[in-house]
Amino acid sequence: MIFINSGSRRFGKRFVSGALGTAGAASEAPGSRKGIAWLGEGSQLFILSVLGIGAFVLLMALLSWASELSGVGGAGEAVDPTTGTITLALTTEPPQLDSTRATDMVSGQILGHVMEGLVRYDEFNRIVPGVAERWEIGESQAIFHLREDSRWSDGSPVTAHDFVFAWRTAVAPATASEYAFILYPIKNARAVNEGELPVTAFGAKAVDDHTLAVELERPIGYFDKLVAFPTYYPIKQDFYEGRDGRYGADAIDLLYNGPFIIERWVHGAQLRMLRNDAYWDRDRIHLNAIDYAYITSDVNATLNLYKDGKVAIAGLDAETLHDALEQRWKLERFNDGSVFFIEFNHRPSRLTHNRNLRKAIQFVVDPAELVYKVIKLPGNTPGESLFPVWLKGVNGYFRQEYPAPEHRVDLARAHDYLERAKQELGIDPLPPLIFLSGDNPAANKQSEYFQEVFASRLGIEVKIDRQIFKQRLAKMTAGEFDMVLAGWGPDYADPLTFGDLFASWNKNNRGAYVSAELDAWVAVAQSSLVPEERMQAFDEIQKIIYDDAVILPNYERGSVFVRNPQLKGVVRRAVGTDPDYTGAYIVDG
Amino acid sequence: MNATLSFAPVVAERDVEVISRPSLSYWKDAWIRLKANRRALTSLYIIIALGLFTVVGPLLPFVPSSSTQDLDQISSPPGADRTATIVAPYAPWSGVTVNVPAGDGPLEAPASVSLAGEATTQAVRIFWDPVPGAHGYRVYRNIAHPAPDDALGMPLADVLVASRVSFEDRLDIKPQDYFYSVVPLDRNGREAPVYATVDVSAVRVVTAEEAVRRGLADSAADLAIGDEVRLALHLLGTDYLGRDMLSRLMHGARVSLFIGIVAPFLFILVGILYGSAAGFVGGRVDQVLMRFADFVVALPFLLFMILFRILFKIEGGDSGIAPMLIAMVILSWPAAARLVRGQILQIREEGYVSASRLLGAKTPYLVLRHMIPNTMGVILVTITFAVPSAIFTEAFLSFIGMGVAPPTPSWGSMCNEGLKTMLTHPHELIFPALFISITVLAFNLLGDGLRDALDARMRSQE
Repeated sequence: MIFINSGSRRFGKRFVSGALGTAGAASEAPGSRKGIAWLGEGSQLFILSVLGIGAFVLLMALLSWASELSGVGGAGEAVDPTTGTITLALTTEPPQLDSTRATDMVSGQILGHVMEGLVRYDEFNRIVPGVAERWEIGESQAIFHLREDSRWSDGSPVTAHDFVFAWRTAVAPATASEYAFILYPIKNARAVNEGELPVTAFGAKAVDDHTLAVELERPIGYFDKLVAFPTYYPIKQDFYEGRDGRYGADAIDLLYNGPFIIERWVHGAQLRMLRNDAYWDRDRIHLNAIDYAYITSDVNATLNLYKDGKVAIAGLDAETLHDALEQRWKLERFNDGSVFFIEFNHRPSRLTHNRNLRKAIQFVVDPAELVYKVIKLPGNTPGESLFPVWLKGVNGYFRQEYPAPEHRVDLARAHDYLERAKQELGIDPLPPLIFLSGDNPAANKQSEYFQEVFASRLGIEVKIDRQIFKQRLAKMTAGEFDMVLAGWGPDYADPLTFGDLFASWNKNNRGAYVSAELDAWVAVAQSSLVPEERMQAFDEIQKIIYDDAVILPNYERGSVFVRNPQLKGVVRRAVGTDPDYTGAYIVDG
Repeated sequence: MNATLSFAPVVAERDVEVISRPSLSYWKDAWIRLKANRRALTSLYIIIALGLFTVVGPLLPFVPSSSTQDLDQISSPPGADRTATIVAPYAPWSGVTVNVPAGDGPLEAPASVSLAGEATTQAVRIFWDPVPGAHGYRVYRNIAHPAPDDALGMPLADVLVASRVSFEDRLDIKPQDYFYSVVPLDRNGREAPVYATVDVSAVRVVTAEEAVRRGLADSAADLAIGDEVRLALHLLGTDYLGRDMLSRLMHGARVSLFIGIVAPFLFILVGILYGSAAGFVGGRVDQVLMRFADFVVALPFLLFMILFRILFKIEGGDSGIAPMLIAMVILSWPAAARLVRGQILQIREEGYVSASRLLGAKTPYLVLRHMIPNTMGVILVTITFAVPSAIFTEAFLSFIGMGVAPPTPSWGSMCNEGLKTMLTHPHELIFPALFISITVLAFNLLGDGLRDALDARMRSQE
């Protein structure tokens, strides 16, 4: 502090002496002109520095002006009826758009607009024809008849070879696709993926340009739903190989067969899609352009953009909800289909391997309290089961036909279990458990809530380990946790997308739960074609998950958002492209 | 002869010069001048009060634990109403089911929407008249009346069974007025452009069991349903998980003040040793030492902080206070070292030091008797200025999540949490921010006062 003072004083003195010298020569001159006379070392230094700073500021101004000219054009209005353009915000940028390697929801959202698979979901979430005009799915083979007018954005037809190439690329061990397992129902897919068989053994073949024959590993009742998934999208071989490993990295590194094409992709800033005139069903598309002009995960920032009329849709959280109510906006609610839960680490080296400890924890957790008092966002529903409420059962909803096991907080039973766990483990008191959690406001709030619940109701100390998504996933895979706040979103509209999650062979079973009984029921659900038998198997899985306290369901996630009233026809769905703007249109108003 | 007798021996007058005032030592004088500075003195009192707040505060009977969650009073501002009525424990509601009247044509609004039972913070139960032809209903809740612009508020749920004409709301009900609207849905789940509304005034309730568990009453037997109790007192309100703000501020101050006082003391101690060695030895050694200090100044603090976290294997869930302290000590000493070196260089050439040396004083004597005491003022001032900057650094690091581990609060992490609810619950941000500001200001003003008080050149102004 003192240091800086004396330093500046010295500089000031030198300047003053210089100025005094000038003042003698031109005493009537105004102060600003005094410095101009090149007298005294001090004034020279001063002028040079002023000039230097001035030039620097000018340069910066010029640079920012130039970048505005050449760079991203200013974003337009949220909805523009004259040009048919809507402006939106993306939460994050897709890492890349190669459908064989895409894993995240944002990639799925973009790919769903620029690509089309054999089938797609319509606005009522029914499977409707996409590139395939019609199809027959038998016990050991599925035949897809492709339409002849489906075109790539370069004008060439979409053929059965494009599908075979894409699927082979996805299962090829060199691609190391995280979603290769979704192709496993196809004959030999698993063996090819694990390097046991050559890629030529893969069970999908192009009979001719417009007929695709798929050999199945086992009878599968939901294969039509499965082929709507992004990993099943086609890729044109010539183009893929011509990109020299850059396929999907940029707008020019992609060939499109969907309703839209990517016109411009400025990494980290903007992604703009234009209507694809080569798309066979182009009359279905009303919008001319979708402009993701902002990339931000900040809920407040997005909401402010919405307020300023810059984006057409904005998500809300518990904090911004109040503001939205006061603005008297129309709010919409949507259940995104995913289930969030506390997953235990079942590895034998961990304390949570002990069933009694897990049961003790189970009996102090109250999902209703978490959802109604802590999360406070409408749309979330208290978790009761691994299977969310929207899954279809035999006739109606699965959860109505097979209700989840009843759960109530019971402190006496919890302490009973805890005592037994301590005896079995021979440890008293228990060392702190590691509670792995995400690093975002919502996860922070939930993890701190659970920390206090375990401490006050069971006397178990918990250490919260906050990690960003990738790091959390790495730690989950390595088993460096006791409990983790995890979630699972559906890949296809069948209960099996949740049901096989804790099978011992599933790579996403990061708690390494092993149960022969559960594996047997998963096998039934996989291979049976009788709906009643399958649903019975899912019910057994549901019961095992509860009885063994494999996971503790927390909530089924919902979201609340505001939409520009001029924008209609936006489809939100749990499975498939979400949000889906392909059928959206703008009304005047 | 007599004349000689007229002379009397002179009585030695010893008190020729009476020192009218007691001698003032340097420190006494400084204290007097500090006392005259009202700003500095007030700051000193504030700092003492802060110390008491931290040490004694959590022991006070009305201050709850800093981690207890009062889920009935989440984000309640200071001075909020806390009366609650005793009710029976929550029991699931079977709802209202009717035979679906057939109908075609456009859907109409339900003839009426009514409240079942009493509206409480536990649950609000509504039911409505069935709409012919409806395939389901969507229930909305708003904090203001939907009229005139049909703002129905937030959609709570879809009731997708046509025969079910009731809904139970348990979502974060506050003791206030709500407007529930019911919109019929068609076959495809689309809303009809009509609705019916009921207004509901929810009362705050608590179960007898819960009241006893929280210590609001001695035994459940004393409480009858309908009795009124007062929920736990939170003087400064609660945060986003219903934790007492006052208690969290007190506990948070521990971390902030610990870092704020320990770190400066340590790095200034290092700085004194280093700077006095450089200044006293001088010459080439001085050059080398000070260039090394310049090098340390250039090191980025945040990067080192992160490196230390890795070095100490600070995993999530562990407190990051130790690496923070070490990084601060390792990287902050050069400022103090430079200052002390400058002082020592100056004092070394003073006349009294030369005189002392001529009289045969040895090096240790010179350092202890002349050098250190004369740099003491500068050192003290540096400490008081380093304290607020250290508090600030801690708050900043906790704010970005590199400080304390939950549930331990710190003012910085409380600000971070409060920021998210700034618009709806400003008290969660204002209080910790205010405490940081006041503390930093108090230390700065005290430092300012100390600098004036310890400046030997201002001494004769009595």
